[in-house]
Amino acid sequence: MKKVARGTSLWLICFMLVLSACGNGNNGGSESPGSSAPANSSASGESGEKPSSGKIEELTVAFPVVTADQHGLQMVQDEINKIAEAKIQARVKFVPVNAGEWLQRTNLMFSSNEKLDLTYVHGGMYSNMVAKGMLAPLDDLIVQYGGGISASMDAKYLNATRINGKAYSVPSVRDMAGSYGLVMRKDLVDKYGIDVNAIKTLDDVGNVLKQIKENEPGVVPLVPGASGQSFRDSYIFFDPLGDFMGVLPNYDNGLKVVNMFEMPEYQDFVKRIRDWYQAGYILKDAATNKVATFELIRSGKAFAYTAMQKPGFAAQESKSSGTEMVAVELLPPVSTTTNITAAMWGIPVQSQLQDKAMQFLNLMYEDKDIVNLFDWGVEGTHYVKADGSDNIIQYPEGKDASSVGYSSLAWMFGNQFLSRIMKNNDPEIWEKTKQFNNVATSSKALGFLFDSSEVKTEYAAVSNVITQYKLPLETGSVDPDKQLPDLIAKLKAAGIDKIIAEKQKQLDEWAKVNGVN
Amino acid sequence: MNSQIRPKRNFRLRRFIPLYIMAIPGLAYLLINNYLPMFGLTIAFKDVNYAKGIWASDWIGFKNFEYLFKTTDAYIITRNTLLYNVVFIVLGLAIAIAIAILLNEIHRRLAQRFYQSVIILPHLISIILVSYLVYAVLSPETGLMNKTILPMLGVEPISWYLEPKYWPYILVIVHIWKGAGYSCIVFLAAIIGIDREYYEAAKLDGASKWMQIRKITLPMISPIITMLTLLGIGRIFYSDFGLFYQVPMNSGALYDTTNVIDTYVFRGLMQLGDVGMSAAAGFYQSLVGFVLVIASNYIVRKIDKDNALF
Repeated sequence: MKKVARGTSLWLICFMLVLSACGNGNNGGSESPGSSAPANSSASGESGEKPSSGKIEELTVAFPVVTADQHGLQMVQDEINKIAEAKIQARVKFVPVNAGEWLQRTNLMFSSNEKLDLTYVHGGMYSNMVAKGMLAPLDDLIVQYGGGISASMDAKYLNATRINGKAYSVPSVRDMAGSYGLVMRKDLVDKYGIDVNAIKTLDDVGNVLKQIKENEPGVVPLVPGASGQSFRDSYIFFDPLGDFMGVLPNYDNGLKVVNMFEMPEYQDFVKRIRDWYQAGYILKDAATNKVATFELIRSGKAFAYTAMQKPGFAAQESKSSGTEMVAVELLPPVSTTTNITAAMWGIPVQSQLQDKAMQFLNLMYEDKDIVNLFDWGVEGTHYVKADGSDNIIQYPEGKDASSVGYSSLAWMFGNQFLSRIMKNNDPEIWEKTKQFNNVATSSKALGFLFDSSEVKTEYAAVSNVITQYKLPLETGSVDPDKQLPDLIAKLKAAGIDKIIAEKQKQLDEWAKVNGVN
Repeated sequence: MNSQIRPKRNFRLRRFIPLYIMAIPGLAYLLINNYLPMFGLTIAFKDVNYAKGIWASDWIGFKNFEYLFKTTDAYIITRNTLLYNVVFIVLGLAIAIAIAILLNEIHRRLAQRFYQSVIILPHLISIILVSYLVYAVLSPETGLMNKTILPMLGVEPISWYLEPKYWPYILVIVHIWKGAGYSCIVFLAAIIGIDREYYEAAKLDGASKWMQIRKITLPMISPIITMLTLLGIGRIFYSDFGLFYQVPMNSGALYDTTNVIDTYVFRGLMQLGDVGMSAAAGFYQSLVGFVLVIASNYIVRKIDKDNALF
């Protein structure tokens, strides 16, 4: 029996070695076409330019979705393909990914070298993806096929995605700035005669919350803007420089990067939130709450929340929560790199159809029909034109937002300014948004993207420390006098100073190259 | 002599061939799922760059492992992982055996089946649901504890999700509640196999129930106990991610007592998405497990040769 066991195990080992050698060879083989593709396409004008009677290529396009309804998306895909096949001899195949698992799926799709030609790029992941060589440089492709893209946005927005001078992704056209403020239930605002125009500072907000707390015992005055977020996430008075690890106070500060947790304004803010928590203005389990803010408002449990705002925000929030809301700005609109990189599109390095992918992307920026198919669905099924106008639409008879069978995150898809407007919304919303973008102050570091590959170890450690303290501290659930010094000490031990030094170095270099002072 | 042995071996082989054939699917699965991916271990030592492809990426030695050791958290997560697993193994085994012995005492078959099904039910509930069940009990404003039980005992409501010190107990209770039913099946099967004659002889000699358990049941199932303990030791650096991430509702304030290697890696790499670093963490966990299994098996072999795994 022992001899048989030894013989069998020897066989198994040999078998395994042989198979792994085969596997190695196969993978080595399949890697070469992948790595030679970017070389081919960057020397553009390659075999992508087939005569118009050539075969129809299929582009695989991945993006996040929040609803599970795939049927509506399939109809949209078919309609889009009718236009795409006629115009660029390519069809698209959508790969919708649940937004909650976007990060994991993206990593998976790239590490397994899946066929992928066009992908949504989340701002937070962008510089990492570029550092790891996942995205193809787009400059030549934009010059050749991206006329619609360059025409639809200010050059400074495209420049904001440049890393080492090359653009690896294209932002979608939407609100490129944010103002932070308070969103409140209109019925209670009217009931207590609260003058929204008088709310200008956090002290004013405190008074309003006090009023609600005293008069409405069953209602929580203030909740975070979204579950998993803190109040500091939606009240930002500095340029977060991508990840909040080292920030630029007042969007300027002479381009000197500072540890946010040591800023006196941060400490005051956290202390104020703590006072509010102890006075009972804030949701007791804000730190662990998993219920969506919209649900809290809809069920009448909450009164207000803080959020990043833009033109038409109140209308948007009213629709999502089913309750009429009114919004007031507390901080003026500012544009930072994070605003711009929030939603972008990139072409994966392993794509064999980079030319076609860029052509399709270009259609998303200049073709009104495609944009509206993405944003609203198929005309006649998911929406109908209203008021005899081409631009104003409404839901078909008897349907509403939840039963119409299609919804999407419209700010993702190309040029949102081409999108039609729902009937009861502001018809001038896009003009107002353009105005908003123009009026917004640009952060001095607009266009700077931090590459964390040199400080990976410290980054992972600091991420852990921040996740540990962020929610309890910034929702007022714990005592800042005790916890904040602990947090700062732990951050230093985890290496935040090294990250800040690296960030400062990259920022200084970027400023020199781009002539910013 | 030789001619007598050879036919014997052939005869034995032929008898066992059906068994070998039955084992092929399992072996094939083992090979494809567990052995072939092993060359992916190299990813732990590479700086993965998708433009160059995974195989052509640069080697960077042990740099991917640094984040597991360099930080102050390294001590906390290692301590938490080890202590929780030791408690889970010891307590889990003890309770599973106790439940199996008790179940064995039930003579009505229907009742025994019923209790067995009820006890195994928690194992079948997804850990996400379990985390919400725990939330229903521990929620600061509406939970069972704060609303009913604590006031009954005259104690102030506690903000459970912000106090780390209670969580070792909470997590152990939840884990045992969920896992005991499943592990007790193995022991129940072993106990049923024990020859009734031993018990009858012991009863004739005047042994009490407790002495019967100590002197007959436990020694008879000790090979299984040893095997399960060794397997548990092999996974001593792994943790049930759902238990340590979902049940505490990912509350930052609890990290000191609920952060284990798996959750630390997850939280640290969510932003970075670095495949090399995650591979390094997995490699570290399995390497430690491997060394510990070999070491414990060696020790067990020295003590009692029959009980060793290999």
